[in-house]
Amino acid sequence: MIKVSGVTKKYPARLAVDNVSFEVGRGEIVGFLGPNGAGKTTTMRMLTGYLPMNFGSIEVAGYDISKQPQEVRRRIGYLPESCPLYPEMRVDEYLRFRAALKGVKATGRRAKINEVKEKCGLTDVGKRIIGQLSKGYRQRVGLADSLVHDPDLLVLDEPTVGLDPYQIRQVRELITQLAERHTILLSTHILPEVEAICERILIINEGKIVASDTEENLHKKLHASSVIEMEVKAEKNAALARVSSMEGLDVRNASELADGWLWMEIEADSASMRVELFNLAVTEGWALRELREQNHSLEDTFVQITRNKGAE
Amino acid sequence: MNVFLCLLKKELRTCFYSPIAYVVMFFFWALTGGNFIWLLSQLAHGESLTMATQLMFSGPLLTFALPVVVPLITMRLFAEEKKLGTLEALLTTSVRVPELVLAKFFGALVFYIVLWLPAIIYGYTQSYLCPSDVLGFPDGGAFRSGALGVILVGSLYIAVGLFMSSLTSNQIVAAIGGFAILFGSFLGMMYMAYTAQNPSVRIVGQYFSSFVHMMDFSRGIVDSRIVIMYLSHAAWFLFATVKIVESKRV
Repeated sequence: MIKVSGVTKKYPARLAVDNVSFEVGRGEIVGFLGPNGAGKTTTMRMLTGYLPMNFGSIEVAGYDISKQPQEVRRRIGYLPESCPLYPEMRVDEYLRFRAALKGVKATGRRAKINEVKEKCGLTDVGKRIIGQLSKGYRQRVGLADSLVHDPDLLVLDEPTVGLDPYQIRQVRELITQLAERHTILLSTHILPEVEAICERILIINEGKIVASDTEENLHKKLHASSVIEMEVKAEKNAALARVSSMEGLDVRNASELADGWLWMEIEADSASMRVELFNLAVTEGWALRELREQNHSLEDTFVQITRNKGAE
Repeated sequence: MNVFLCLLKKELRTCFYSPIAYVVMFFFWALTGGNFIWLLSQLAHGESLTMATQLMFSGPLLTFALPVVVPLITMRLFAEEKKLGTLEALLTTSVRVPELVLAKFFGALVFYIVLWLPAIIYGYTQSYLCPSDVLGFPDGGAFRSGALGVILVGSLYIAVGLFMSSLTSNQIVAAIGGFAILFGSFLGMMYMAYTAQNPSVRIVGQYFSSFVHMMDFSRGIVDSRIVIMYLSHAAWFLFATVKIVESKRV
């Protein structure tokens, strides 16, 4: 669906995007992450044909953006970062205007607008003036606008910024629903959002793509060993000695909990060593109430990736 | 074409939604009315009838009102789109920049013509009220060519204002910049045409001065050179605006 190869964008004072290449397949939901100023918005603007690039090429749905920009734009629904709208217009009026601009045929226009309004929960506010709507509703109007011409690809630049938790959840649900029919490229720096929605993650830092994979694979790459947490009823020193003596296991941390149970944090070569730990507890006759692999949060991974590359 | 009409409709709508349009309209219409009363009293005191159209179109309205009014109409056009970020939303649809610039230009031109409507209506009412044996006021031909002149001058002014608006995202800067250029060049050319000592400077001034041109137009002289000059200058500013919008996208 998207094929970005060797794209570079220079601003007078700095290099915003440096030789970036990536691909997004049809039907994927890809999260586009990066610290502030990493080049997310610039990349998205080039992708939608708003900014010209200095080098490289971008193909969307098989059309080259510098040769057939109109074809590309027709296939992209773009929600810019600040969700720009005309505050003096009414919701219906705005959507009618945008639908006409985007070449939605006059005969099916009303039906199409009603459809996206329903999808985005705007049915009741059609007559309201955009300037008087809350931020959450405005965001939905922006989203409805990006959907109105039924694009193959949705490019959403921080769609949930500035919303309250309830609205964030609504927008997120909406995006997940949309994923059934559209390819989505979504930028954000709210990481739980990416964990909740996206199938694949692209991380950009200082204008370069530093990672592109599924969340799990990213974790695997970064954390060769896994950490297992275990809670047993056992005498501390004996248990520590027993666990540490096993091959591939190493107790990193342990403490006796207030209720007399022993909590251990164990570094293991692989998460499957939980089985050995279980067997050990059985043979030693320890009562076992918790045995689980510690999950790395995407936040850890993100910080690690962007910091490593930044320090190089 | 479809896109252009859609943009034009939106421009007109936004124009008439904004309070500034009504403020401008109120003051300009009040000035037109005042100007007309003054014109009638001049005629009543024995001013020659040939002066009537001149007083109407190339009097104080042209000199002092237009350089203020036109930047007030045009300041919003691109500056606001940039400030709101809606320019990005527009240019990522299949809208082409020339279409957008032309839609904004013609939107402003329609509003500008609306501003002049009362003056034109006064003129025609006057000709109905006059007894038929009185030598016609206003002279139909002169009146029409005066109106044409006002529209030509207006389109150049609007193109300049639009250009200034495309340079900044601050409406005030766009308005003051537009005013400075229009009023400055108006006075400068008038000085060159009428007051300068050097004859060649005077000739150049007469070629470019809107005041001189409007005197001709309101006497019923439509000089094709001048018509082409206004149209081509306006086209040049529109072209420059297109280039600015295309290049300044950050």
